[in-house]
Amino acid sequence: MNKKAIVFLLVFAMVIVACGDTTEEAAVEATEEEHDHEGESTLEQVQERGFLKCGVSTGATGFTEVGDDGSYSGFDVDYCYAVAAAIFGDYSKVEFKQLTSAERFTALSAGEIDVLIRNTTWTQSRDTELGNDFGPTTYYDGQQLMGRVADGLSNSSTVADIDGLRVCTNAGTTTEKNITERVGLAGGTIQLITVEAFSEAIDKFIAGECDIVTTDGSGLVGRRAVNDALNDWVIFPTSPISKEPLGPTYRSNDSQWADIINWTVYATIIADEYGVTAANVDSADLEANPELGRLFGANDGELQTKMGLSADAYYQVIKQVGNYDEIFSRNLNPLGLYREGGDNDRWADGGLIYAPPAR
Amino acid sequence: MMNIDIKKQTRVIKENLFSSPVSTLLTFITSYIMISFFRGMFGFATAPDKDWLSVLNNMQLYMVQAYPESDFIRIWICVGLGFIFSGLSVGLWETEEKTSLSKLCLTFSKIVSGIIFLTIIAPTTSVVVSTATGIREQVDVFSYAERIPLLSILLGLLVVFFLISKINLSFNKSLLVSIYLLVPIILLWIMKIPTIQLDADNQRVFPDPLMPIANSTKIPWTLIWISFVVAYLVGVYFKNKKQFKNAVSISWVLLPLLIFSWIFKKPLIDLNELIRNDIPVFIGFLLIGVLTIYFINNKIVEKFYSYYLGLLVVVTIASLFLKVILLVKAALLLLLLFSVIIPAVSTSAKGKRSLTIVWVVSLTTTAFLLEGGTSTTQIVVPGSSIFGGFSLTWLLAIFGTYVSFPLGVLLALGRNSSLPIIKGVCTGIIELVRSVPYITWLFFASVTMAVFLPDGVEFNLIVRVLIVTAFFSGAYFAENIRGGLQSIPKGQFEAADAIGMNTVQKTSLIVLPQALRAIVPTLVSSIITSFKDSSLVTIIGLFDFLTIGRMVIGNQSIPINFIGHDRENLLFIAFVYWVFTFTLSRRSMKFEKRLGLGER
Repeated sequence: MNKKAIVFLLVFAMVIVACGDTTEEAAVEATEEEHDHEGESTLEQVQERGFLKCGVSTGATGFTEVGDDGSYSGFDVDYCYAVAAAIFGDYSKVEFKQLTSAERFTALSAGEIDVLIRNTTWTQSRDTELGNDFGPTTYYDGQQLMGRVADGLSNSSTVADIDGLRVCTNAGTTTEKNITERVGLAGGTIQLITVEAFSEAIDKFIAGECDIVTTDGSGLVGRRAVNDALNDWVIFPTSPISKEPLGPTYRSNDSQWADIINWTVYATIIADEYGVTAANVDSADLEANPELGRLFGANDGELQTKMGLSADAYYQVIKQVGNYDEIFSRNLNPLGLYREGGDNDRWADGGLIYAPPAR
Repeated sequence: MMNIDIKKQTRVIKENLFSSPVSTLLTFITSYIMISFFRGMFGFATAPDKDWLSVLNNMQLYMVQAYPESDFIRIWICVGLGFIFSGLSVGLWETEEKTSLSKLCLTFSKIVSGIIFLTIIAPTTSVVVSTATGIREQVDVFSYAERIPLLSILLGLLVVFFLISKINLSFNKSLLVSIYLLVPIILLWIMKIPTIQLDADNQRVFPDPLMPIANSTKIPWTLIWISFVVAYLVGVYFKNKKQFKNAVSISWVLLPLLIFSWIFKKPLIDLNELIRNDIPVFIGFLLIGVLTIYFINNKIVEKFYSYYLGLLVVVTIASLFLKVILLVKAALLLLLLFSVIIPAVSTSAKGKRSLTIVWVVSLTTTAFLLEGGTSTTQIVVPGSSIFGGFSLTWLLAIFGTYVSFPLGVLLALGRNSSLPIIKGVCTGIIELVRSVPYITWLFFASVTMAVFLPDGVEFNLIVRVLIVTAFFSGAYFAENIRGGLQSIPKGQFEAADAIGMNTVQKTSLIVLPQALRAIVPTLVSSIITSFKDSSLVTIIGLFDFLTIGRMVIGNQSIPINFIGHDRENLLFIAFVYWVFTFTLSRRSMKFEKRLGLGER
C-alpha cells in the first residue's frame, strides 16, 4: 500500500517538474512574441519585426478598400505600402490593422500600430493632447453637406438653409461637432441622426430617413457619382464648412520615425513635380535634375542613409508604389475626385500639395 | 399514404386552427403577418436595384478573407475532413433503416405544395426607392405570365408523385440518402450562374452573362461531396461496430485541433528542440497518464484523488498564463480531462486497457499536431490576419465551445462541491464572468488584458478573444449544467452512496451523465448563442463574417463597384446564420430523440 502511495507522489512530483523544468527553457522558444522593446526606436522595432503595422480605416471608399480576394487598395493603403517600400524595399511588407474611428488613437498609443494612415484630421487637440504627431497632409478635404434638389437646395445653399431638417452623420468624428457648431452659430436647429458607418448614413438618406447627409467632401462626391445622382443631389456650401487636412499620424517624440514617414510623403510629391512615375523612374535623367538624384540615391544616398534607410529607399517607393499623382488618380479618379483646380493640385498650379526640397 | 382522408384533414385543421373564436382570430393574424413578411422579403430580394453578385463575387472574402490562394488546398482538406466525419456520424447514428416510395412521395408532395403556395402568394410588384429623389416607386417583378409555366410544372410534379405513390416499393434509406447527396454534384456541373465580366475598358458587362461554375470551386466541392457520400455509406455499413463509433467520437474531439493547426502554419520540425523539450514532456505526460489509469483503484490514491484533481486544475490554469511551451499547456488540459473520466472508466481491466489506448493515441495526436502548429513557418497572409470572415466566426464558435464546455463542467462541479475553497473560487469565477456583459469582456481582451499578463507575454488579439470567450461561455455552461445537477433526485446520490461509490465515481457515473442528458436542449441553445455572439468581435476591429458584409463590401469601388449594396449582403449573412443554427438545432433534436429525452 505504502509503496503505491510513494509511486503516486512521484507522479505528482513529475507534474511539477515537467512544468518547472520547461518554464526556463521555454522562455527561449516561447510561441509568444517578446515584448521588451524599451528604449528601442520605432524604426528598430519595425526592422526587427520585418513588417510594418499600419492602421487603416474599416472601410472608406477610395481610401481603404478590401477587394474580393482580401487584398487592400486605396489612397491611404498606398501610403502604407510606400512607407514599407522605403523601409524594406518591398512594398508588401505591411500588416494592416483596420480600426474604427473610436479606437484609432488608442491603438496608436498602445503600440499596436506603427503609423496611422486612416483619413484622420489634423487638429490642435489631437496633435497636442493625445501624444500624437501629424505628418504632412496628403489630402486636403473639407466637410460639406449633401441634400436633394427636390428639397429646394442648390449649390449656393448655406448651413442656414438646413434649419429644421434631419441630418445624418457618423458618430464620434469631427464631422458631428462641426455641423452642430455651425448650425448653432447660424441660429438654426437640426435633428441629428448619428450612425456607426457612413454607408448607413447614405442608406438612410436614400430611404428618406434624413434630408441631409454630411461628411468630408471626398466621401460625398464619390457617393453621388456611384448613385447616378449628379443632377438630383447637390453638395454645398461651395467652400467647405471645415478644414479637414488628412495625413499620416504617429507617436510623439520619435523624430527619426517621423522623418521617415514625412519624407516618404514628400518623395512622392517631389517625384510628381518632376513628372517621374513608376513607369519612367528607371529612365529619369538624374544628372539634369540633381534634386531627384539626391532623392534616388546619388552620393551613396547619404540623405537616406543618415535617416537609417537604404540609399535607394525613395527610388523603391516611386518604383513600387508611384508618385503622388499616380496614387491619387489610381484611387480617387474613378470616384469622380480630380486634382485639377482643387486644393490637392500641385502648388505650382495653385494647389496646396507642396514639398520641401531634397537637399 | 397519399389517400388523404379529407374529413380527417378538415377535422385536424378545425381542431388546431379554428377551435375557438380566439384561436380563429390568432390564426388570421399570424397568417397575415407571415404572408406579409414573405411578400416583403420576396419583393426586397427580387427588386431590380439589388445587385446579388456583390454577394457571389465576394464569396472568397466572406469565407477566408485574405488567406493565400496558393494554400487553399489546406482549407479544402479541412472542409473535406469535416464533411467526411459528418458523413460517418450521420451514417453511424442513422436510426431508420427502410423507407418506402409512398412515404417519400408524401414528403416531396408537401414540399412542392409549399412552393406552389408561395409562388401564388408572391407579390407582383416591389418597391424601389429612387436614389435621386427618394420617392418610392412600384416596379413589376415576377408577373403572373411568368408564374404560369412554373406553376404548371409544379402541378405536374404533384400529379406524378401522386401516381408513383401507388407503387408499393420499399428500399434502404442509405440508398435514398446517397441519391439525395449526389444531386448537388450534378447541379454543380450543369448549373450556370451569372458572373461578372469586364470588357476591354474595365467596365462591367450588363446583363451579367451566365457562366458555368468555376473549376476552382466545382472540383473541390465535387470531391468533398463524393467523400461525404462514401463516408456516409461506410458509416451505415459499420453501424453496429461499437469501437468504430468510439473512434469517430474521439476523432470529433481531435478534429478542430488538426484543422486549425493545419490551416495556421506549415509544419516544420526542428529536431534539436524536439529532443530537448518535446520528447521528455511527451514521455513524462504519457507515464503520468498511464500510471494514473493503473493505480486509480488504490485506496490511498483514491483518498487523495480529489486533491490531485484540484492541483491539476490550478496548474493547468496557471500554465495558460505562464511561459511554458504549448505542448505542456495542451498536455495538461488533456491530462485534466482524462483524470476526470479515469475513475469512472478505469474500473475493470478492459476499461483500463482501452483507456490507455485512448490516452496514448490522443496525446500522440496532440503532440504531433502542436509540433506542426507551433513551427515558425507561418503561412504568410499579406496585410492581415490568417483568420477572417467565416473562418474567424467558425474559429470563435468552435473553440469557444471546445474549451468552454469542459471548463463549464468543472466550474459547475466545483460550485456544487462540499469543499469551501473550491466552491468559493468557482462561484467567484462564475459570478464575476457572468455579471459583466460580453462586449465589456471583449474590450477587456482588446485593451486591458495586456496589463494583466506577465511581462514579456503578448498574445495575438484573436487568442485573447478566445480566452475571454472560453471563460464567458464556460460560466454560462456551468450555470446550465448546475441546473441539470439539481434536477437529479436525492435518491440517486443515496443509492450511489449505499453501494459504496466514492465522490468521483458518483459524479462521473451517476450524476454527470444524467445531468448532461437533461440539459441537452439548453446546451445546444448555448452553443447557438455563442456562434451568433461571435459577431460582436466587430467592435474590437476583428473582421468576422458579419463585419465583412456590413463594413467592407459596401465600400468596394475597385475593380467592381459595389458601393451601397450592403443590404443584400446583410440578408445573405442572416440566411447563412439561419442555415447553421437551424441545422444545429435539427441535429440536436435527433440527438435528444436518441437519448430518449422527454419520453422517459
